[in-house]
Amino acid sequence: MESNNNLPDKNGFFGEYGGKFVPETLMYALDELENTYNKLKDSNEFKKQFYKDLSEFVGRPSPLYFAERLTKHYGTGSIWLKREDLNHTGAHKINNTIGQILLAKYMGKKRIIAETGAGQHGVATATVAARLGLECHIYMGAEDVQRQSLNVYRIKLLGAKVHSVDSGSATLKDALNEALRDWVTNVDDTYYIIGSVTGPHPYPMIVRDFNSVVGEELIDQSKELFNTMPDAIVACVGGGSNAMGAFYPFININQTRLIGVEAAGNGLQTGEHAAPLNDGSPGVLHGALSYLMQDEAGQVKATKSVSAGLDYPGVGPEHSWLKDSGRAEYVAVDDDEALEAFHQVSELEGIIPALETAHAFAYLETLMKEFDDKSNIIVNVSGRGDKDINTVAEIDGIKI
Amino acid sequence: MNRLTRKLSEIKSNNKKALVGYLVAGDPDIETTVELMKLFSSSGVDIIEIGVPFTDPIAEGPIIQKAHDRALKKDTSLISIFEMIEKYREFDDETPLVLMGYLNTFIYHKKLIENNENNAVDSILVVDIPGELNLGDYGVKSNNINTISLISPTTKKDRVKLIAENSTGFVYYVTLRGVTGSSNLNIDEIKKNIKEIKRHASVPTLAGFGIKSIEDAKLLADCSDGVIIGSSLVQMIEQGSEKKEFDRIGKYISEIKKAIS
Repeated sequence: MESNNNLPDKNGFFGEYGGKFVPETLMYALDELENTYNKLKDSNEFKKQFYKDLSEFVGRPSPLYFAERLTKHYGTGSIWLKREDLNHTGAHKINNTIGQILLAKYMGKKRIIAETGAGQHGVATATVAARLGLECHIYMGAEDVQRQSLNVYRIKLLGAKVHSVDSGSATLKDALNEALRDWVTNVDDTYYIIGSVTGPHPYPMIVRDFNSVVGEELIDQSKELFNTMPDAIVACVGGGSNAMGAFYPFININQTRLIGVEAAGNGLQTGEHAAPLNDGSPGVLHGALSYLMQDEAGQVKATKSVSAGLDYPGVGPEHSWLKDSGRAEYVAVDDDEALEAFHQVSELEGIIPALETAHAFAYLETLMKEFDDKSNIIVNVSGRGDKDINTVAEIDGIKI
Repeated sequence: MNRLTRKLSEIKSNNKKALVGYLVAGDPDIETTVELMKLFSSSGVDIIEIGVPFTDPIAEGPIIQKAHDRALKKDTSLISIFEMIEKYREFDDETPLVLMGYLNTFIYHKKLIENNENNAVDSILVVDIPGELNLGDYGVKSNNINTISLISPTTKKDRVKLIAENSTGFVYYVTLRGVTGSSNLNIDEIKKNIKEIKRHASVPTLAGFGIKSIEDAKLLADCSDGVIIGSSLVQMIEQGSEKKEFDRIGKYISEIKKAIS
């Protein structure tokens, strides 16, 4: 949890992005959280507990693995996979929930709430809540409940309650709305574990810091495995937590290109996608000012992506700042390209990636042409694809 | 002095309590909203609060959320709302009009607010910004528009002072921890907090968010300068929309008015 720049500033802004755009009722809860976090983050006791849990409960560090056949397929450079899919619960999401549940415990909160899209954050939250015996409520869009039924059942098995959200577009953004409404109502005894680097300050900072363990490990592993820093790190971006965790420790390492891949859904030119950094404009949603998919009246647009975890009209404010400052690049791949990569990686590497992660893999098709033999490219394998089997089978016309 | 300030001081000097009625613009459609506004003011509403529909209204309970959705399906935007208000002003140039909504739509229509033709709008309440800030802090200059700020039961004392001093229309005391239309009023806490606010505020303090009945309205009016009725009116609008029968609403408003006088 080292700091690589001085952002966010004291008001929670990364350049012009971020901030605290919430109803007054939540201001004290955000202040309370910020004070607690600032007090704990550098204490040895807290760090010791955090890293102990990551090691013994999550199974960190996750390997950096050489993808031999994928490398051969592209015929240039070396492709390395950061295996976040091997974490307990199957995705990077657990890193953040391990950290935030420690904050919740320290603050004496008895009730945990979270939103989830693909269900991975819901599972990760239900897992850490079960471990501490805390009451847990997960908000999930009705459409996502449908397409991520495996994770819904996992959350229930872990003793948490799933609330299906019918309002609006019945996806991740609406789950977030509902979780915020719960928090406003039960703010005294409830801790809200936001699952991405989104939401009002201090969440984007906290989630980034807890996920930065990924990038920190990458620095050591790169030195060890190929004796230099990578030429590029590629990660998918919905809200942007897995990308931010991998990117953050590299912000001052200029030889490493940071590439975020958004979901282009039916194609960027169709307008039916979930790629605010590629085809959006700054706006305020869920407590932060950031790039946003919105129409000419300032209303938030419906999104489209085969991947529930990327199906979100906003993005973490630090990504907006990284985009404008030019430090990171943001591209987009569409549903078809992601699905193709999903099959390709499964067959070439024996790893079934999450549909979210498949977007990062799909971009290799373009990216690898830009690199020579000596290059080292890291793909952050943010999660495993078990949860997506039904979705993909249905698209392929197979009934399981 | 704009209509809101004038109206509030008039109410105060008559030793009365203000009644604020809320509806969502464009629910069920913009023409009906104009008619409903006329009904509101003729039945005893002193100040009309006009909800500006937004796709993601995080502070609203289910009743008002659905009204936002219905209004958006009718393509209601801040542009059509300003046109609607212009039309309404031809009938009624007295009743103060307050816009209540979410920051993104207001920033998007900055010019519209800055122009505020004929000063038709008197005040704006932005739900999703900290109480001590106003539209000016987000680059929207609106000299002729008052700011209404929210203070909630969880607002810390030092912030109460800051927010109370920032309000130029009235202070909106959120009577509960929750979204609009919830019901867990704690009258003792409300009394105590409003008393604290009134120590710092130079403008009146009105109470809203959880008022479900005429009895609630009476209790809250006793310890504040007035009450805001939202969800129960929006629900009656929903129920009456199909047949455009809104007589019940007029009656309900008159009863509340009587109870708090």
